Amino acid sequence: MLKREPTWEQKIAEYVMENKENFYRLAYSYVQNQEDALDIVQDSIQKAMLSKTLKDDKAIKSWFYKIIVNTSLDFLRKRKKLTVVDDTTLQLHSQGVSDYYEDIDLHRAINELSPDYRSVIVLRYFEDLKIEEVAEILELNISTIKTRIYKGLKLLRIQMEDLNFEEAKQNG
Amino acid sequence: MDNNKMDKLVEQYKDIPIPQELDEIVEKALIVNKKPRRTTTKWIAGVAAATVIFTTSVNLSPALAKSLEGVPVIGSVVDVITIKEYKVDEGNYQADIAVPAVQELENKTLEQMMNAKYLEEGQQLYTKFMSEMEQQQAFNEDGHLSVTSGYEIKVDTDQLLSVGRFIEETAGSSMTTIHYDTIDKQNEMLITLPSLFKDNSYIEVINSNLIEQMEQQMNDDPSKMYFIDSPDAPVSDGFKTIAEHQNFYINADHKLVIAFNEFDVAPGYMGTVEFIIPTEAIQSILVSDEYIK
Repeated sequence: MLKREPTWEQKIAEYVMENKENFYRLAYSYVQNQEDALDIVQDSIQKAMLSKTLKDDKAIKSWFYKIIVNTSLDFLRKRKKLTVVDDTTLQLHSQGVSDYYEDIDLHRAINELSPDYRSVIVLRYFEDLKIEEVAEILELNISTIKTRIYKGLKLLRIQMEDLNFEEAKQNG
Repeated sequence: MDNNKMDKLVEQYKDIPIPQELDEIVEKALIVNKKPRRTTTKWIAGVAAATVIFTTSVNLSPALAKSLEGVPVIGSVVDVITIKEYKVDEGNYQADIAVPAVQELENKTLEQMMNAKYLEEGQQLYTKFMSEMEQQQAFNEDGHLSVTSGYEIKVDTDQLLSVGRFIEETAGSSMTTIHYDTIDKQNEMLITLPSLFKDNSYIEVINSNLIEQMEQQMNDDPSKMYFIDSPDAPVSDGFKTIAEHQNFYINADHKLVIAFNEFDVAPGYMGTVEFIIPTEAIQSILVSDEYIK
């Protein structure tokens, strides 16, 4: 009797509140600094609220991830014109002392990959999305995603010899 | 096969620190686009809005008439009426609080106790609303506040009367709470949840039945969601247990219904949720089959 159909905005708000930390990490994985990552999260939410492109509520997850990814990529494109991010800058952003080298691993790993490969690796492995979801977010077909995962892992393996990419073949 | 490197990367990814500003930024981004949800009362330009308190004397309000719709009142004298109504209508600030009162109970202590409680809660809600509104207006904030409170007769049979009082508060986002009182009209007493059972084992029994029902519903309908742990979606502060005096009522079919407020066990879009507990599940621990069959 009191259960009402929530408005479209409420559904978005609900979803954003539950997943804001994931969005932030995803944005951070692209831009690698706090300020820009926060900007991207903010821009993405506003885009989402204004956009009317979500047709099916169930698709909200890939729809929102898509907005974050695209906003991040746009941002990188714009920034590329301004500066080139070098290793020194990246090191400045690594957190803490004890995990200094580990962080370098993450930054290196991500930065060795071009945005194309970066997106599939981050979404598939770090955000733990299904291959189908990654395909939907990046608007590519599943076999392209599989190829990119395979190549992406291979690229990573070049720097880190014990990285396993068998899993990609199995899952893919 | 060595997955260590990837595991380590994933771990580092999960360890990316979340800045404190995130909450604020997210909330702001969401609020910018938030429109006031309730637009039922229109602002009339040029007329200074007045704060009016209606004290309705004992009569049937349209709201009550509506709430009684479809509920057969079979020769029972015990009745629920709207005794007082608070209304505020100042543009973005809307309050509509209806205070119920139980009547014609022989047990005057019970009647007075319930009515005093209802009145006090209504007053508190009104006072709180007014002070929040004045505060926002004093700081010239363009706020949106609304509170709607009323009651519904959930069950009214010869034997039982269940009154549910709901509060819907909107301040940016909205929140609904509901509280039930169930009276045995014949014996003139308030039924509490523990009084229905032989001992406290009902808590555990009901918990496991609820979790079963939540899982079942989520499996059957992907749009449903409850805050419970599942292997593919662990929830840190999910549903653990009902309270000793969990909100409940007994429906016209003599089944126990357990009720939760909005956000208690499910995301807001699910609203307030209720579960009918199958009598077989609790049969063995019921004191009697007087109320629940």
